[in-house]
Amino acid sequence: MHNKASMTRSLSAAAVFLAGSSCWASPAWAHSAKGLSGGFAAGFMHPFLGLDHLLAMVSVGLWGAFLGRPMIAALPVIFPAVMAFGALLAILNMPQPPIELGIALSVLALGAAIAFGYRAPIWLAGSLTGMFGLFHGYAHGSEIPSLADPVAFSTGFVLATGMLHVAGIGLGMANRLKGGALAIRGVGAAISLCGVYFLAQAVAV
Amino acid sequence: MRGGTLPAALIFAALGFALSFAPPRVRAPALLVSAVAAIVLARVAIDVSRAEYVYFACWASVIVAAASVHLPGGLPQRAAVALSLACGGAAGAVVGLAGNLPELATAAAAALVIIPASWLVASGRGIAIKVVSSWLIAIAMLAAALPLTPTPGYAPDHME
Repeated sequence: MHNKASMTRSLSAAAVFLAGSSCWASPAWAHSAKGLSGGFAAGFMHPFLGLDHLLAMVSVGLWGAFLGRPMIAALPVIFPAVMAFGALLAILNMPQPPIELGIALSVLALGAAIAFGYRAPIWLAGSLTGMFGLFHGYAHGSEIPSLADPVAFSTGFVLATGMLHVAGIGLGMANRLKGGALAIRGVGAAISLCGVYFLAQAVAV
Repeated sequence: MRGGTLPAALIFAALGFALSFAPPRVRAPALLVSAVAAIVLARVAIDVSRAEYVYFACWASVIVAAASVHLPGGLPQRAAVALSLACGGAAGAVVGLAGNLPELATAAAAALVIIPASWLVASGRGIAIKVVSSWLIAIAMLAAALPLTPTPGYAPDHME
């Protein structure tokens, strides 16, 4: 029991460190791949450099951890898969959805779901996450084909997205600690407030 | 540029994940089959005009191998060997297209993911492999779509 709690604490600490350290990520790393922009490092750093994307992806993991099985594993599968589909639509020059609005709404809704401890049914959690993944994917897909090394960029981008989900899940483990649930809801509320800010910006444009 | 070690490494990684769900006795022979197929195909001179077919086979292999982890009851023995043959062939062809054979050895090292993956599957944590495999599918989907873009379009650079 003690070991379990200690492991949960370690996981949460690691997740907080991972999520926190990403805030200090230097854009200079984006140029390391093969001497040309658009390589693995650039793709890997991409999700860390936009706060809206970063918060949405961590929120997916957090919400998944809160919802428990099977969504703890399903959401990190659904989001990157639909995100890739969204990028595919952008690559194919399909009509553009309201990207900024969708991304802002994703941060707002996912944050609110965590803040209010909303235990959505499986179909709803899956559909919402998928829909948000579509917006995030479309936002990045249009720039992939013109990059120097698009495959390496895509690989880095998808892996970083998945890792942010895992960081969110790790953070969500704190839910099992004393006072952890309240802290997680607080994090959700803060994310939601960021979503309101992004939404206001998106509407103002 | 889209050649090099990475596409072949992604195939071998997907194969490693797929084989971790196969019966243990078939894993080593299947890896051997994939290595032989890769070496043979890497030595076959493939016309550059067929590059799109080779890349299509490459990404299809990644998708099929990564998706096979979801098969109920794991990957059957014969399917594991067939998949290894296809994946090895596709990896060899991709590397052979670039003409840099030493890259094949680097890419094949990605199949070593089978070691931690098998341990995770055996200890009942196979779900982690299924999650990571889905990321490989997403990567392959994106990469496969690149030649389809109408404009500005993916244009082969001076490295191809």
